[in-house]
Amino acid sequence: MRFAFRALPSASGGALTPRPVVDIALEGLEVAPVACLLDTGALRTRMSAEIAPLAGIELTGDLTEEFYVGGVKTVGQLARVTLTATDGADGFSWDAPVWFCDPWPHPFGLAGLEGFLHHFLVTINAYDGYLEVEPEPWLQGA
Amino acid sequence: MPTMTISGHQYNLESRSVEAALQGALPEPIHEHFVVINGRRWPPKQVLALVTGLDRADFTTHQARRALTRLGFPAGRAVRARARHPETSRAAAPPSGASGADGPAVPLAEALRPFIGLWVAVRDDDVLVAAPSPAEVVAWLAKHRQRAQSMFRVVGSEQAITSAAPQ
Repeated sequence: MRFAFRALPSASGGALTPRPVVDIALEGLEVAPVACLLDTGALRTRMSAEIAPLAGIELTGDLTEEFYVGGVKTVGQLARVTLTATDGADGFSWDAPVWFCDPWPHPFGLAGLEGFLHHFLVTINAYDGYLEVEPEPWLQGA
Repeated sequence: MPTMTISGHQYNLESRSVEAALQGALPEPIHEHFVVINGRRWPPKQVLALVTGLDRADFTTHQARRALTRLGFPAGRAVRARARHPETSRAAAPPSGASGADGPAVPLAEALRPFIGLWVAVRDDDVLVAAPSPAEVVAWLAKHRQRAQSMFRVVGSEQAITSAAPQ
């Protein structure tokens, strides 16, 4: 699967630097895959807590963690969900832990090691502005 | 203030009252014709129905389009978008396009400009819907039987993106 880097508009004109983003659909919310910033430095995979109820995910608060993102204190709640990465043509699904965070004032979710990178071979071609994501062999046979 | 006769009724319409009537509403999918109001593309019939309270069956798309262009709103035809996706509207360009011109191909970043601060659902380079919350975006997709390629919040600064990395 190939994902073109995504650029957002700059409020002062022009566009911001395009970023490596993958679109990840939650089971129950296939009509609106969530854009997630590929973050090789992040241990967790995180999304806005606003997304969870839209996918029918109940956040029980059994396992939570507090952390800071950009100086903003936020609380993440863990849920195991089925995710699907799709570029519109191909798609691969896997079961993963996702931390749903509140507040989450950021544009994208974060696709980190646990929940995303552990499952894929990722090639980043920043010069040409795209990344390729292929599932690990064990996932392709799943 | 132009006086218009629509479906046998006379209306005194002005651009500000049209803009006010759209507050809180979301544009429906663009099938072909659109007008640009407050930086967003709207189906002409949806706008005129909201402004006048008339049933959409009481007037045609061309009547609605003509009434709105008389008020100064740019209008266009989503020919290319329609050819690729029958029910997809291309994102609104800044409202400087010539009336009646086909919608120009707008790179996604530029198409997203009117929606800084909002959640959007996109497909290719088309903005399907923009709203203050993901719940409203998903409700719109469900209501109009649309499927997005991606959903995210539009921000307008580098800092807003780079700060997403956990500290």
